[in-house]
Amino acid sequence: MPRNVPTPAIVTQALHRHRSARYQAVKGFFRNILSNPDYPYKKFFDLFMIALILSSVWILVHEVKHPLPHWVDVYDLYVVTLLFIVEYLLRLWVYSDLHEMVLKEYDESLILGRPLNYGRIFKRFVLSKFAYMSSPAAIIDLMAILPGYRPLRVLRIFVLFRLFKLLRYTKSINEFVQVLVEKKFELLTLLFLLVFIVLTAGIAIYVFETHVNPKINTLFDAIYWALVTISTVGYGDIAPVTTQGRVISGIIIVSGIAMISFVTSVIVSAFSVKLEELKENRLIHDLNKEEAFLILCGYGQMTKMFLRQKDYPLEYIILDNDANRVATARKDGYNAIQEDASRYEVLHRFNTQYARVTLATLLNSDVENIYITLNAKSVDPTIQVIARMSDRKMAHKYKLAGADHLLMPDEVASRMLLMAIEQPAMQEAIVHLLTGRSKAKLDEIIVHEHDHYCCKALEEIDFKQHKLIFVGIYRAMNGEFLFNPAKELILEAGDVMLVVGYHVSIAQFEKDFRSV
Amino acid sequence: MATRKVHIFGYGKHGKRIASGLRGSGYALHILEQDADLVKKAYADDYVDVDQIDMTDDDRIEALDIGESDLVVCVMDDEHFNVFVTLTLRQFHPEVEIFSISDSIHTAEKLTMAGATKVIDLYDVSATRIHNFLNKPVTTHLMSSIIADKRGISFHEYTIPEGSFLHGRNTGEIDFAKFNILLLGIIDRELGNDLIFITEGINHKLDSGDVLVFMGKDDDLTRFEETIKRKTI
Repeated sequence: MPRNVPTPAIVTQALHRHRSARYQAVKGFFRNILSNPDYPYKKFFDLFMIALILSSVWILVHEVKHPLPHWVDVYDLYVVTLLFIVEYLLRLWVYSDLHEMVLKEYDESLILGRPLNYGRIFKRFVLSKFAYMSSPAAIIDLMAILPGYRPLRVLRIFVLFRLFKLLRYTKSINEFVQVLVEKKFELLTLLFLLVFIVLTAGIAIYVFETHVNPKINTLFDAIYWALVTISTVGYGDIAPVTTQGRVISGIIIVSGIAMISFVTSVIVSAFSVKLEELKENRLIHDLNKEEAFLILCGYGQMTKMFLRQKDYPLEYIILDNDANRVATARKDGYNAIQEDASRYEVLHRFNTQYARVTLATLLNSDVENIYITLNAKSVDPTIQVIARMSDRKMAHKYKLAGADHLLMPDEVASRMLLMAIEQPAMQEAIVHLLTGRSKAKLDEIIVHEHDHYCCKALEEIDFKQHKLIFVGIYRAMNGEFLFNPAKELILEAGDVMLVVGYHVSIAQFEKDFRSV
Repeated sequence: MATRKVHIFGYGKHGKRIASGLRGSGYALHILEQDADLVKKAYADDYVDVDQIDMTDDDRIEALDIGESDLVVCVMDDEHFNVFVTLTLRQFHPEVEIFSISDSIHTAEKLTMAGATKVIDLYDVSATRIHNFLNKPVTTHLMSSIIADKRGISFHEYTIPEGSFLHGRNTGEIDFAKFNILLLGIIDRELGNDLIFITEGINHKLDSGDVLVFMGKDDDLTRFEETIKRKTI
């Protein structure tokens, strides 16, 4: 039975935060700018932090030979360090939500009928924050702050940790580390072997040569020599003088060569496997930075023809299941990756939140096209879908799936052929106007608020002088097309004017139209 | 329009649509198909003049009664046959107009080389439409209703008949806006058979036989069709 006790203050506080749109917005903003790679403004933050780090390292290097002016010291101490501290705290803050923990504990206590346990909340809070603090990235961040503590000059060298911090802000280094992490097992095995050989050889040379060789006095000298030798660096500052020592040298030189080639091959093979994936990730990552882009599903004839019409306005990517077709697309010079567009995770990787995404599914099969349409709409309803349809009977299904535009190649072609028979001149006119391949084209000019002609009557625009035919106006507001409207009509911002004319005339007209 | 005969080679996906589109528009239809099932289908759709012929049989195609003003449409599902039949027909009838649809990227060129008068490149047309979806939303909207043959705003062409009031006038002196239609292009027979867009700003002298392409609301266009025949307005 729930007892009738007043809600504890901490819970009301937590609830308040949970519901506060402003709190969520602020936290969301910091979360995005710190850790959401798709957030468009993150790159400015990253660049700023990189500049801070580089300036700090430059100061460290410069300081070695030159005395620093006082303000540089102040900058280094207060500005850089302070910003790092702020960043660290912000990251710690956005990592987890205290109020959510409180609410969870409160819910559990209500269900189980036990009193609210502040200790448990505190424990959860500390554990989650500690989980963040003990992550490698957070440790590097913390180390990077340390040089700010002046009494210990030794800490100055920790400025170099600020360089490690660069990892956070540059994706390519991250990917490199990722590859190494994936080969952790192989690399660790080799490292273990290396340590084993170096230690054994070091101890052996120490035993054989300590009293004979004046250069080897301590075990550290011996191990240092073994490491220099096995790596094939061979400074020569310490060299074996006894026969036994030279035999050991021979052994570790041979094993060193073997080991280095082994390590190299492990890393190279890891990269070659991973390289494709990295390239694909990079492709998607770059695309996600665009304001708007196009996803083409399937590299069939339709896609080929589409890309061949050179004036595609958007960045694009081709997704195809088939490795051969992807290879062909790449050979033809297009950006293609081998992915299945009907899988949720695949489309989910695209930045649908901040970019206008258009997906064109141009496969031969209706089943596939409908599935991909549905998939796209389930990932994000704002994705605009252009679907190819083989049969008009399918139209209803496509509409249900949410396709925005339907394309029926067969029907359009038949219709065009009919036109060519019945009204050849008109068919020619339409083809020319739409493709814009001849000199004349049909084009749309959007009226902006600050345009010269905005909010003026149509009669003030001299289309004749510009050698244009004015077809009509589309009013986005009420969604109607006004064909050949009366001359007294006043242009409004957002109107789209349809004109027919030569490419040059249209370009000139747009220029004049926009000028103030 | 005089009864011209249209020979449709192929009653597949395109042939069916084209036949039904041409039905009732004053053409005599003659359907030729080599697949027995499709021939049956054509009969079932109430076409009377249907022949089953072997497209590789030159003698048979030569024997076909194709008049000089007839039209030929090659829209078999197999593009190889389209090219082949176009070539055969061109050999026997150098003057006849041959229309075809190209179903794949390189066929358009082959069909043109084989002698087709007009080739609709299916992929080209569709790719253009995708571009328009992306670049010109208003145009797309307008065009889709034209292509789907709905009532609304569309294009229409008229041949200037004998004795029309337009005969002997200049394009510049006639205010087509009065009829609520726009003159887009003209085939000026004095200059050749190519379509010229009116935006050139050149004044064309109109003669009977010239073809004018207009854009306008369907009702206005239909009304103008009557007007153009009159001697005066």
